[in-house]
Amino acid sequence: MSGATVAAGAVQLVGGVLLGPAIVGLIQQVKARLQGRCGPSVLQPYRELRRLWGKSGVAPEPRTLIYTLAPAVAAACTGLALLLLPIADLAPEWGLGHDALVLVGLLALARFALALAAWDTAGAFGLMGSARDLMLSVFVEGLLLLVLLLFALPPGSTDLLSMSHAATLPEVWEKPAHWVAMIGLCLVVLAEIGRQPVDNPDTHLELTMIHEGPLLEYAGRELVYLQWSAAARHWIMLVLACELAFPHPGSFAAQIGVLTGGVLALSVALAVCETVQAKMGVLRVPLLLGSGAALCLLGLASWLAVGGGG
Amino acid sequence: MSTRHVSIVPGLAPAAVEYVRAREWRMACERQSGAGGRFCGLFAGRGPMGLQANCVFAHADQDHVVCASAPGGEIDTIVDLFAAAEWDEREAHDCYGLRFDGHEPLRSLIDHPAEPDAWTVPIHGHDAYRVAVGPIHAGVIESGHFLFAVVGERILHLDLRLFYKHRGLQIAAEGRSLAEGLRHVQRVCGACAVTNTVAYAQACESALGFTPDRQLRQARTLLLELERLYNHLNDISAICAGVGFAPGATAFAGFKERAQRLNQRLSGHRFLFDTVALGASTLRIGQADALAAREELAALHQEEGRVWRELQFAASLQDRLDGVGALTRADAERLGATGPVARATGLRHDTRSESPRLAYRSFTPATLLRATGDVSARLNVRQIELEQTFAILDQLLSSRVTPGGVKPGGAEPGDFKPGDAALTGLGVARVESPRGETVCVVKTDRRAVERLHLRTGSYANWPVLVCATRDNLLPDFPLINKSFELCYACVDR
Repeated sequence: MSGATVAAGAVQLVGGVLLGPAIVGLIQQVKARLQGRCGPSVLQPYRELRRLWGKSGVAPEPRTLIYTLAPAVAAACTGLALLLLPIADLAPEWGLGHDALVLVGLLALARFALALAAWDTAGAFGLMGSARDLMLSVFVEGLLLLVLLLFALPPGSTDLLSMSHAATLPEVWEKPAHWVAMIGLCLVVLAEIGRQPVDNPDTHLELTMIHEGPLLEYAGRELVYLQWSAAARHWIMLVLACELAFPHPGSFAAQIGVLTGGVLALSVALAVCETVQAKMGVLRVPLLLGSGAALCLLGLASWLAVGGGG
Repeated sequence: MSTRHVSIVPGLAPAAVEYVRAREWRMACERQSGAGGRFCGLFAGRGPMGLQANCVFAHADQDHVVCASAPGGEIDTIVDLFAAAEWDEREAHDCYGLRFDGHEPLRSLIDHPAEPDAWTVPIHGHDAYRVAVGPIHAGVIESGHFLFAVVGERILHLDLRLFYKHRGLQIAAEGRSLAEGLRHVQRVCGACAVTNTVAYAQACESALGFTPDRQLRQARTLLLELERLYNHLNDISAICAGVGFAPGATAFAGFKERAQRLNQRLSGHRFLFDTVALGASTLRIGQADALAAREELAALHQEEGRVWRELQFAASLQDRLDGVGALTRADAERLGATGPVARATGLRHDTRSESPRLAYRSFTPATLLRATGDVSARLNVRQIELEQTFAILDQLLSSRVTPGGVKPGGAEPGDFKPGDAALTGLGVARVESPRGETVCVVKTDRRAVERLHLRTGSYANWPVLVCATRDNLLPDFPLINKSFELCYACVDR
């Protein structure tokens, strides 16, 4: 294992575990500035987590093991997903491989665990939120698979390392399929991390919640796991977007630089998007994701038509 | 049956009171509406013969009050004639024990029984379920419990449970002097403080046979429009916030803040508290201050117009507003909707156009080209009304504001003696609040309050919200609710 691989593994772990809340904080801060407010510091999500960590938990009655285990399962799935991510086309072999489909599966499993927990306690807001989440996930996961498929076409493999490596080659940029996949990826990122126009993470209105709904029942450390998972999901999706879609040729150090710049730029872009876009009606979201999927299918057709594989 | 009938200036005459027997009650109310009277509220009271039912009707020239004694504590319902009387009858039953024959089931409103069947509409069908929200909310919202009956995301019915902080202010005011009564009304609601107190003051003045002079009319109209200004700006901000459209929400929240600072400068209070007095006004705005206020209002108007135009081009915002929470004109009329909510459906009623006690000269109610009755229409009506308010304020501030008073008048000479301590009367006043028509009835007894009844625009519109919510999506409810933006305190009086 080379030094660069070890460094990539370190970024995977340190970045994934620690930097998620900073991305959330950065988005909040930029949003506040764009709205003419001072806003909380970038470090505010960390303070929230520390505050919650020190609180005792309150659990609803009746509940079963499903409710109790859900935060740990969700956090574990997110933690494993961190290890799949390529950093600068590299990643240590953790024994999981680096298959894109495993990543999709882990994200789905985390969502499923939370939906089961909502079902377990049968709180109205939790069930409502997770029902919407599952309804949307039908479309989000479909689109995510299509996008990953498009990125997997050039290397001919769903291995994230090869996919990431293929994006460095300049000829990828001549293919319309790559551009279309980038558009699809933007939609997936928005939906997967629960940002406007799909979901409003800042709302206190329980009736409109999607991702926040199932979290309402939790408190204390269990809530820390869930909040951390949500923050780490930001890291996963943004790093994935940078690695698969952004051009990043050059040395390891340069690649890390491009990755840092990319994550920062995407965070700011998310904040801008969330500021200028109102939240969509919940039944309009499938339409948005569906048009993304249609676009991806067009990209696939274009790949086949120009004989991209040959 | 006896009718007191006095009239010289349309709208300035004191209310005509018609006393009827219990069995003639329904017929008398029917006759009022047949003669073009508009139902403006029902309330119970205690008379010498036991419980009493009173019903207010607004006519073009004069308000009428039908009073009937119900010695047995029971009277015929009129809810089948006036659907808007539903809450009034339920309240009269809860607070006074007055039973309404034929109002079945008479569900409790102010009383909060634990048993859901006692206050909710039954829902059948195996896919229907209930979602309960409140009374404690995550935001800075007053106490209200919303129980939705839902299939999937679609709302079948909404059961409202408000009155969590009912203070009994109306009862507390009984027996107090009229001036103390004003202080009770002042505390009913913060956002409608001016409307409520002006309505009360006008009702008292009408009962005592006074009419306001020019200065008093100018001062009160100015205060009412200042109240409307900050409320409408706030409501537009709230609608933007309801769909997560931050630029609109922040900009209009900023405008509201500027309007409230102007309130502070002109009246000494951001919510214009304690600016209304009985039979007088102490508001004094000099030439220089009036000019400065006009300049500030002109600047605010210009910037508000600019942001409003930007909202028109925010597709993601506009996309959320059309067709949501739609209310038909027929439903609005049937349920007695009032204010911007009613005008958004095409009803052309605004109490400001029939307010001779205020300085609204040749006022025309706001009308929409496309009165669709949905959230979008309610938003647009508010903007049109803001334009009117800016124009009225500019005109009112074109001269300095000086203290005003009242003069005898409004009834035939000899019918009353101003300042007569033995005078007993009944005054009715209707004032347009930012949320609709507020009706205040005061029965005076030797310059004390015998009975006070305040029916605010919010009170009239809450049942209408239920109708507008039906068949909409559950996640759209907060938006629909914000497009009504009704007060809880206004009904918890």
